[in-house]
Amino acid sequence: MSASYAAVGWNRQKKIYDWLIAGFCTSYLVLFISLSLVFNEQVTFETLLIRSTSTLAVLLLHVILAIGPLCRLNKKFLPLLYNRRHLGVTMFTLSLVHGSFGIFQFHALGNINPILSLLTSNTNFNSLSAFPFQALGFLALVIFFLMAITSHDFWLHHLSPKVWKTLHMFVYLAYFLVVMHVMLGVIQYESNPVFVIIIFAGATTLVTLHLLSGIKERKTDNRQFALQQQGFVYVCGVKDIENSRAKIFCIDKERIAVYRHENKLFAVHNVCKHQGGPLGEGKILDGCITCPWHGYQYLPQNGQSPPPFREKVSTYDVKIVDNKVWLNPAASAEGTERPGAEIKD
Amino acid sequence: MVIVSIILIIIAIYLAAGFVFAVAFIVKGVTKIDEGAHGATWGFRLIIIPGTIVFWPFLLNKWIRASKTKEE
Repeated sequence: MSASYAAVGWNRQKKIYDWLIAGFCTSYLVLFISLSLVFNEQVTFETLLIRSTSTLAVLLLHVILAIGPLCRLNKKFLPLLYNRRHLGVTMFTLSLVHGSFGIFQFHALGNINPILSLLTSNTNFNSLSAFPFQALGFLALVIFFLMAITSHDFWLHHLSPKVWKTLHMFVYLAYFLVVMHVMLGVIQYESNPVFVIIIFAGATTLVTLHLLSGIKERKTDNRQFALQQQGFVYVCGVKDIENSRAKIFCIDKERIAVYRHENKLFAVHNVCKHQGGPLGEGKILDGCITCPWHGYQYLPQNGQSPPPFREKVSTYDVKIVDNKVWLNPAASAEGTERPGAEIKD
Repeated sequence: MVIVSIILIIIAIYLAAGFVFAVAFIVKGVTKIDEGAHGATWGFRLIIIPGTIVFWPFLLNKWIRASKTKEE
């Protein structure tokens, strides 16, 4: 949040997450290299490194892009989201190894600058079978690089969440470039269609997951609130909200989270100040609304992060009449204390 | 090929300037523009170097503005 920065904000959960990533990557690389050596004794070290890191990076990229929609479809996937940026940096590191060795093997042994050689040695842009697919991979690597170097919260704070998020949405362009890099590369170097089938299956899975999660969110956002009373809108029954949890309502295109805490209801803006996480999908921990994405916290009564942190979200008035919850969608200024609505049993 | 060469040279000069700026920024500038950097570890300062090299004009602008605000 806003206290002194550390290089890496590790805690117990993040360390476990990172050990699992390291264990999985090591196992994958060992297995890939072992199987390659069994089935092709002539394979060189450079080729092994280029292929093992590329396939693992593509696999991780699919996992990274699947985490968001999976979490929107089922909260059980939220632990995967918690440390996704470390997964992203790992994927970039693998891509960098792949790209560096690729450039070294194919472009560094002549008398032309390797990057210049990569970008200019093949200009068959009109040919599908001879397309300069390496340039596509290089462009994707540049995008991953920009994402990796701005992954620290320092950059989120200084570039602003909007610019930061926009920059990181370029991952979808990078994904498209990676798919084309693999497809066009396979056409030129491989006779086995298995790589094309795998990448096609991966892309289809990602598109399906994004569509399903989009449809689910749209249903929530399109709910019509007919009953209105002095600026308040009837949203649900008191019993519909579990203790220490929230329900999210989209009124006038704004998502509001109504939390139940210590026999009271409080309403705050649903969007976390850190990376726009859905606060209403989190829970109350240590008396604070805790964002499910990265654990940023806010007090339910005033939407302020507990000191020394300084983030604030808007708060809203909420009232209970005959066990029915009424919400006023007019936002109070960020960090404004609201009394909440007492639940009478 | 000539155009690509010129673009690569410009990028290299830009990044070299960014590297020089980054050295000064992580030693002194970062604490001027961000209170959170006070007492931050050297690990943090090292980890922001690549980003500083790329986004140095933006950070230089912030540093200058922070210095002016302090003087006022």
